[in-house]
Amino acid sequence: MRRRDLLATAAALPAAAAAQTVQRKGRLKQCATISCFGRKATLEFAAREGARLGLKGIDLIGSSGWPVLKKYGLVPSMAPGGGTIADGINSKDNHAKIEKQIRENIELAAASGVPNVITLSGNRRGMADEPAIEHCAAFLNRVKAMAEDKGVTVCLELLNSKVDHPDYHCDHTWWGVEVMKRVNSPRVKLLYDIYHMQIMEGDIIRAIRQNIQWIGHFHTAGNPGRHEIDATQELNYWAIAQAIVDAGFSGYFAHEYSPLGDPLKSLDDAIAICDV
Amino acid sequence: MTRRTFLPVAAGIPAATLSASQPAPRKGRLKQAVSRWCFNKYSLDELCRRAAELGLKGIDLVGSEDWPTVKKRGLVPTMTPGAGSIEHSLNRKENHAKLELEFRENIAKAKAAGVPNVITFSGNRRGLPDEQGLENCVAGLNRVKKIAEDAGVTICLELLNSKVDHKDYQCDRTAWAVEVCKRVNSPRVKALYDIYHMQIMEGDVIRTIRENIQWIAHFHTGGNPGRNEIDASQELNYRAICQAIADTGFTGYVAHEFVPVKADPFRSLAEAVEICDV
Repeated sequence: MRRRDLLATAAALPAAAAAQTVQRKGRLKQCATISCFGRKATLEFAAREGARLGLKGIDLIGSSGWPVLKKYGLVPSMAPGGGTIADGINSKDNHAKIEKQIRENIELAAASGVPNVITLSGNRRGMADEPAIEHCAAFLNRVKAMAEDKGVTVCLELLNSKVDHPDYHCDHTWWGVEVMKRVNSPRVKLLYDIYHMQIMEGDIIRAIRQNIQWIGHFHTAGNPGRHEIDATQELNYWAIAQAIVDAGFSGYFAHEYSPLGDPLKSLDDAIAICDV
Repeated sequence: MTRRTFLPVAAGIPAATLSASQPAPRKGRLKQAVSRWCFNKYSLDELCRRAAELGLKGIDLVGSEDWPTVKKRGLVPTMTPGAGSIEHSLNRKENHAKLELEFRENIAKAKAAGVPNVITFSGNRRGLPDEQGLENCVAGLNRVKKIAEDAGVTICLELLNSKVDHKDYQCDRTAWAVEVCKRVNSPRVKALYDIYHMQIMEGDVIRTIRENIQWIAHFHTGGNPGRNEIDASQELNYRAICQAIADTGFTGYVAHEFVPVKADPFRSLAEAVEICDV
């Protein structure tokens, strides 16, 4: 492992030196998922090019990939926590299993200085909102002390249930915020996905301003389509990023889209748009 | 007509030093208009003169007494009074007889003046369930759709937000308005999709427009949050939205309805027109 990394670093150095690092204002700490680097991108490529473009981290990378990120000075900005989109913490049946996962993952994250781990509500499957909110809060209340002790934030993701994830439960800001209020921990927050929330409810800047104390992380993508966040889609990400910074947000803001154009050009544009 | 439209433009050039330009030629795939009330601190004549210079096609929300002023500048009164008010309108059957009289009178005036659209509203909920409000709106519109069809005037049911500006307004979701239009099923009864209001209530603007364009006759704009300029200071990318509207083949009007806060309101309007000129 070490030897392979060394080799890769050695191989990467000349290229990294050749291509100049892009300077950013950096009031917003931007990251990206590997999807932004194109379908064939390796983690090594994403980390090297991401660092060059001024990113601070790569989202949704498991612990085996963390050494690659660190080699390029990047943070694993959102790491695996517990549960899946379909099977998450809204059902008590899943709690024991997910608790085991998330405790392991918080431990791993803490040991590597990784700031966030992700969790999910799971699908509705006919369950009403109130019991599901209560189940999510109960689960998060079980693990919050550990998250607080370890200094790792558990992020509950908001997703759309209209287009991409039919039946997902945590699909409105108010719902996620209600869970957060019942847990009330500095280490349990929402992952506010701007793309998903634009599909579900709109009114992005107002929702962010009103709920910023419950938000630990952001995701982006263009709507409709989940592609570039540029002028081809309906959201003005520059104004949204400005509002996030103005709200005093100090966490990470991660691009999560699949590019239609040249991936590095698109990512450079996306970072520039949000570099407020 | 040519002379009349030429004269105001020529007369407007000296005063247009703020924008310091000739009336810009527009691509014009979208016919743009502006709402009267957003520029209330200017005389209607001044607004019409400036609007014509900017390449706008019409003025929204002007009563018949103002139509000669609008037409003098070669503009269309693009959205005019129909029946009802925001709070009191079609969702209550007890209003229908009175609304029918208003519609008859206003549609006749619109027809006589070649005015394309008249506006109407659902009214506030006041505890009325959505299905009941919906049925009542359908019944009220069915009473007058024949008049609108015969006159060639479109009745537009406006979508407004009930979260920030118009608490308790019932027609606050695209799906609700579209269901009304589907049940009425007339080429002369459509929704007025207000982009600002619908961004507040539901988001997903382009998909919603594409999926429902056959039920939409008119659009309003406005920056969100704040209902001010539609420029880079707010969360919507109006250029992409207008592109999507034009790409559907929409032939109606897109009317700006924002309250300018920048130093020069007409410069704000000029920028809005430019943004939406796709």
